[in-house]
Amino acid sequence: MAGTVIGEGLTIEGDISGDEEIVIHGNLRGRLTTTDAVTVGGTAVVGADITGASLSVAGQVTGDVTASERVDIQAGGKLVGDIKAARFTIADGASFKGNVDMEV
Amino acid sequence: MTETSVIGAGTVVSGHVRGQGSLEILGRVEGDVSVTGNVSIGPAGRVRGNVSGAELTVSGQVQGDLRATLSVLLEPGARVAGDISGPRVGIAPGALARGHVQTDGEPALAAARAPAAAARPIVLPTRAVTAPAPLPPAIRHEAKAPLPPPAKFEAKAPLPPPAKFEAKAPLPPSPLNAPPEARKPEPPRVAPAPPQAEFTPVRPIKPEARRPPPPVVPVISKGTKAKKKKSND
Repeated sequence: MAGTVIGEGLTIEGDISGDEEIVIHGNLRGRLTTTDAVTVGGTAVVGADITGASLSVAGQVTGDVTASERVDIQAGGKLVGDIKAARFTIADGASFKGNVDMEV
Repeated sequence: MTETSVIGAGTVVSGHVRGQGSLEILGRVEGDVSVTGNVSIGPAGRVRGNVSGAELTVSGQVQGDLRATLSVLLEPGARVAGDISGPRVGIAPGALARGHVQTDGEPALAAARAPAAAARPIVLPTRAVTAPAPLPPAIRHEAKAPLPPPAKFEAKAPLPPPAKFEAKAPLPPSPLNAPPEARKPEPPRVAPAPPQAEFTPVRPIKPEARRPPPPVVPVISKGTKAKKKKSND
């Protein structure tokens, strides 16, 4: 069970920080920082810099991403921003625009 | 699943949270929370900001106003510093609240409570009935009191003006009204009438008792209206 869930229809304008898993199905504008995994659902629209252990994107993300482990863009996912992660995958059907830095 | 949002115990949100659905706050929120669904603030939850939702259930700490469209419930252990408002407000023993508490909600919700709404209108009409009763006497008193002064004023005031008006009024109107043909009939009607009405009542009033003077009605000689009409035509 995810520690934090931002449901569809919910909007957060501001910073989110924590030490647990965060799942986003709604909207987020600001900054997202955690030490655990971050999941961006298919209905989510995120305009934020994301820092976490791992990131999985099925929705839309605009912002720089820093992950200590990995970043996965799922099919249908869209990510615009620079990525800094040890592992990085882009699924077929995903869109991505930005720089990638895998020297972590 | 997507309707209920959770802010975990290890999560801090600094900013506004708003939108649809319910929200469970187990961590910290520093900012306003406004959702259409229910808000539950767990024992470890802390909110510094205003919280608004349908049903608010607080077991943790809130520093800000609680505004509910349905109900606010403070569970034992809750600590709230701020105003609480909602149609229903419950504060359990062991809960701590500091601020203004108001159980008046939105008018629609208050009207929805049929028994309470039915009881109140009965009280209001009685007030409405009692209110009119005192009013008439006040009006009567006013009616009685003001009457004598005007009578005195009329008796004293009319005296000087008539003399002046008689002297001045007839003179200027005649040259001014002379050019226009339509106004010609007016001066004769005004001039003869006032002297008759004012001279007769004014003199008898003074020597006699302080009675209110008879109504001053300018006497118009018969046929002046007809003359005026004819002249206008």
